[in-house]
Amino acid sequence: MLNGLFDPATVLVYLPRLLLKLPVTLLIVVTATVCGAAGGMMLALVRLFRTPVLNQAALVYISFMRGTPIVVQLFLVFYGVPLLLGHLGIDINRWDKLYFVILAYALNTAAFKAEVFRAALQSVPAGQAEAAYAVGLTRLQCFRRIIAPQALLIALPSLGTGLAALLQDTSLAYTLGVVDVMGQVHAIASGTNRMLEGYVGAALIFLALSVVLEKGFGRVEAGLLLKRHS
Amino acid sequence: MGFDSDFFFVALREAIKYTPVALFLSVTALLVGFVCGLALAVSRVFQLRYFSALSRAYVVLIKGIPLVIILLLLYLTLTCLFDDLAKGFRLPVRSKDIDLIWVAALALSLWSTANIAELLRGALLSVGKGQFEAAYSVGLSRRQTLFRIILPQALPVSLPMLCNTFIGLIKWSSVAFVISCVDLLNGALIAATDNYRFLEAYLAAALVYWGLNLAVEQLSHQLEKRLRLPVNEVIH
Repeated sequence: MLNGLFDPATVLVYLPRLLLKLPVTLLIVVTATVCGAAGGMMLALVRLFRTPVLNQAALVYISFMRGTPIVVQLFLVFYGVPLLLGHLGIDINRWDKLYFVILAYALNTAAFKAEVFRAALQSVPAGQAEAAYAVGLTRLQCFRRIIAPQALLIALPSLGTGLAALLQDTSLAYTLGVVDVMGQVHAIASGTNRMLEGYVGAALIFLALSVVLEKGFGRVEAGLLLKRHS
Repeated sequence: MGFDSDFFFVALREAIKYTPVALFLSVTALLVGFVCGLALAVSRVFQLRYFSALSRAYVVLIKGIPLVIILLLLYLTLTCLFDDLAKGFRLPVRSKDIDLIWVAALALSLWSTANIAELLRGALLSVGKGQFEAAYSVGLSRRQTLFRIILPQALPVSLPMLCNTFIGLIKWSSVAFVISCVDLLNGALIAATDNYRFLEAYLAAALVYWGLNLAVEQLSHQLEKRLRLPVNEVIH
């Protein structure tokens, strides 16, 4: 029955072609993580310092991003951003879809990272900052040398799960027509009509990546904890 | 093409009309996930032979594969399998007669089982070894220990995380649209197929999902408050 439907050998034939598009998936993940971390840090600082107006705006933004599906956000960015910028006289309708996808994932990541950073920064005892000021460090030095390293260690597990979740989320980028790993499955299938093998191949790639990510983060964490206690 | 606020309200009405579908998907997955996830978590905490390893492998597998792929794989195999079986038994039904909502519910249930298994495992372990030992020492069996001592302490701990999972399920129920199951998102999108006003449709769907999740969040806070109160009274 399923013999005609699923052919394991075809998976092996497809894997190299799928891996060819892995850089696109990784590009989305890495760029969105870097931009999202920067945006998340700004949002976290706005929330921590309770900057008027901006604080409330950040609150609504974070709630919206955490409360709506990523697919919906992808399409909102794809249809909405050109319209918004069009009002400002900037035409981005010809932009590659990949930019919209990266922007959408970065905006989403920023909201999740903002909460992680905020919690991590808040968990560093106030005495640490006071001690740093007492020995004459400036605000920036205090943040960079005293607060941030401690907060980062606390945030690390959440950052790991965030990265793994982002990797999974990118599997939806194909709905916009971006040819990443999942997009390649559909590109191959449109020529050969063999969907199932493609999906199994993609599943294997995602599975391998997530296991590597988890192990990698586990190592980094263990290493940092050791360094701290030695 | 500007923003058509009239159509936005049309799409909003459609999205609200199909909200029960999203709720059905997420509630079903939550219930199935809770029962199966609890079984997996318990098998790991009590280190049952074979089951423990199986449950571990299941969690790694499901958490490693994106939900969309799980859903699409299920959709392809189940529909083909069903057609073959129906043909084999000469039944007059075909897979296209089945409501695809069941395929989506199954995929979401598989996914939530893995997530809930992990969070319940954490909650069970958070109870502490001494509680297990104390229960055994007064002569309780494993089953009695689990249901009378461990679970009553672990479940309140896991409640915020369960609510988080529920919010995740409401959001992820939107992936049902990739197998063209008419859920909240697709309901709004179908309204836009004639005039291509997809921005309004997506925005309408987004607002409904947002509202749902805010409501669940509020409910979660209320529940947490209620559960915490008696504990605090005992302490003070």
